[in-house]
Amino acid sequence: MMMKRIFIKPELCEGCKNCQVACLAEHSPSRSVWFVNLSDQSSQPRNYVELNNEGRPVPLSCRQCDEPECVSACVSGALQRDPATCLVVHNQKQCAGCWMCVMSCPYGMILPDARESKIAVKCDFCADRGTPRCVEACPTGAISLIEAPSPDTDGEYYVLTGGEQQ
Amino acid sequence: MSICISADKILYNFLASKSDVETSFNRVPDQAVKCGFGMQGVCCRLCSNGPCRITPKSPRGVCGATPDTMVARNFLRAVAAGAACYLHIVENAAVSLGEIGRGNSDLPLKGVSLLNELAGRLGTTGSTEEEKAVNLSNMVLADLYRPRSEKMRLVKKLAYGPRYEKWAGLGILPGGAKSEVFDALVKSGTNLSSDPADMLLHSLRLGIATGLYGLAMTNRINDIIWGEPEIRLAKAGFGVVDPDYINIMVTGHQQSLIGILQDTLSSPAAESIAEASGAKGFKIVGSTCVGQDMQLRGAHCGDVFAGHTGNNFTSEALIATGAIDLVVSEFNCTLPGIETVCDQMHVPQFCLDDVSKKQNAEYLPFNLKDRHIIAGKIIGAGAESYAARRKKIAIDVPVHGYDDVLTGLSEKTLKNFLGGSYKPLIDLIVAGKIKGIAAVVGCSNLAAGGHDVFTVGMTRELIKRDIIILSAGCTSGALENVGLMSPSAAEQAGPNLKEICRQMGIPPVLNFGPCLAIGRLEETAADIAAELGVDLPQLPLVLSAPQWLEEQALADGAFGLALGLSLHLAIPPFITGSETVTRVLTADLEQLTGGRVIVDGDIISTVNQLEAVINAKRSGLGL
Repeated sequence: MMMKRIFIKPELCEGCKNCQVACLAEHSPSRSVWFVNLSDQSSQPRNYVELNNEGRPVPLSCRQCDEPECVSACVSGALQRDPATCLVVHNQKQCAGCWMCVMSCPYGMILPDARESKIAVKCDFCADRGTPRCVEACPTGAISLIEAPSPDTDGEYYVLTGGEQQ
Repeated sequence: MSICISADKILYNFLASKSDVETSFNRVPDQAVKCGFGMQGVCCRLCSNGPCRITPKSPRGVCGATPDTMVARNFLRAVAAGAACYLHIVENAAVSLGEIGRGNSDLPLKGVSLLNELAGRLGTTGSTEEEKAVNLSNMVLADLYRPRSEKMRLVKKLAYGPRYEKWAGLGILPGGAKSEVFDALVKSGTNLSSDPADMLLHSLRLGIATGLYGLAMTNRINDIIWGEPEIRLAKAGFGVVDPDYINIMVTGHQQSLIGILQDTLSSPAAESIAEASGAKGFKIVGSTCVGQDMQLRGAHCGDVFAGHTGNNFTSEALIATGAIDLVVSEFNCTLPGIETVCDQMHVPQFCLDDVSKKQNAEYLPFNLKDRHIIAGKIIGAGAESYAARRKKIAIDVPVHGYDDVLTGLSEKTLKNFLGGSYKPLIDLIVAGKIKGIAAVVGCSNLAAGGHDVFTVGMTRELIKRDIIILSAGCTSGALENVGLMSPSAAEQAGPNLKEICRQMGIPPVLNFGPCLAIGRLEETAADIAAELGVDLPQLPLVLSAPQWLEEQALADGAFGLALGLSLHLAIPPFITGSETVTRVLTADLEQLTGGRVIVDGDIISTVNQLEAVINAKRSGLGL
């Protein structure tokens, strides 16, 4: 079985943060990059661009782990790994805001919501879109969408390097 | 290979068939990913602490600039750059007028009646026409060069009375135009102004200087030199190109420069040079706004002017036909993209004004005194190019355009056409036969649905609703090449407008020509308002620059807002990152000048909004 994954090539990132604008837009009422309120401090992108130890920008987003720590830590059952897509799905209605996921994610990719700090917010892979907005918005190809074999698949083991299957 | 679509299907098919030629249409898909911060105007790269961008986590720049400050600075700089462009044009035109008046050129003045009329209106002294030309030129140049502390003196005489009072009340009467541009750059610099309100008012001052001088005065001076527009039917589109001639394509906005080719290229000497090269003669092939201007004054251009081919984004395609032998440019829109096409098609380029210097163009510094030398070089190079390239290059001119485009509309010719007064038009508006007027102006872009897609779609929908269209700018090139400026377009209009157009033998979309003619639309509107005894914001008239492209369009837009008109744009002018600037321009401004910006990227929704504005203004007039 194949699954969709966001693939990051940090060496291509120019630090433009266009992925963050696209993410903010997708989760705003208008969904429009023209009209999303970039000054609304109660909103937050679900992806990040941070500088690494060498001062180079690196795009970051939820890795949709095969064995997600956040799911293991979630006491309310709001976080689940979808067996069909292998994505880590967060049900906001079920979220108790206990922040166990926030503390357990080794990558810091799930955070309390900026508006009321009542529930957790993470990448939803732009749920109903074929391609996440950050992927479409990346001008350099640092963020791309790939098809990768599901780790649940029996048989061959794939190693990913540079986005190519070997 | 996917390319940008166009409302002009023949153009699109032509470009799609040219897989070996790369134009702007090919580059659109590669530039599809846009920068969200740039779109919203909240990227600031004024200083080395930046570029700073606004996000929820970084709500201010390093210096403390808020999104309001960033957007206002970026907007003011854009308007200032646009104003600078038009002011450059009027400066050159005024210099040419002065040179002719001083007898430093053998060019005649073809519009002396307008010169006399204008001299009377502006108090220009002079016992002869030559003296008046010199003095008018000096008056215009003096106003352009004043310090900002001195108001431009002609504004009061050029502006519509009630508007002048309004501007004086708001404190937005412009000082010397070039100084206004200069200080706009100063105040939008690093750690200078942070006040969005002041910067927006400055934009309006620039708009007034742009409109009254850069647009309207340029038109008048060119009318005085090259002759006033006359209403006539003309050919437009690529079909005007005859491969049997040496075809000189012109791009730009300055007939005051390009015009020197009109008589020289049709002289017996030029004709014999052409014949020696195996051609029937020379033709000037109009492209972009200068072509639109020559079309407007076509009655005075003679047969040497082949006609107008199309707007900014048709210029690469025109060269790709292979039938162009030389390009002469003097301003935008001279796309960098024409360079590779010129190389491919072996077309030399000349440039008469270094503001539009293309890398591979030969620069011929313009001086009216040297006009025969300049024209001689162009004639020689044209003949040489024709002889050299025609053996090598295949020619493919598509069947394109219309033979019956109604041209030559101006503030005067429209009035004369209506019998010397706007009353017949007003009566039709009062009777509801014509619901209102939409001025569809400005540029063409390859956004907003594709090349001219929004402009053409919106215009079709407006005329269906009995709203008559006046067009000035690259919109004219778009609308004439899809047939909307031919009398038969009446059939596409709503029942009332259709009937009127049929009776008068006119199309529902009236061609005022280049973007400079936005100045003519203002005068037309002022004449109508004067006849009704109202101010401009009360008229059932809307302004739309649906496919605005660049800074000049924003300066035009600032003029429209100062005039108190509702101005539609299909694409936001890089302001949406600032709540304050967006609110002022789209709402609060209406309380000040009467104008406001309407941003709408959907054709039907736009037309609904524009119709609602027209209906509200009709109600305001008791209609």
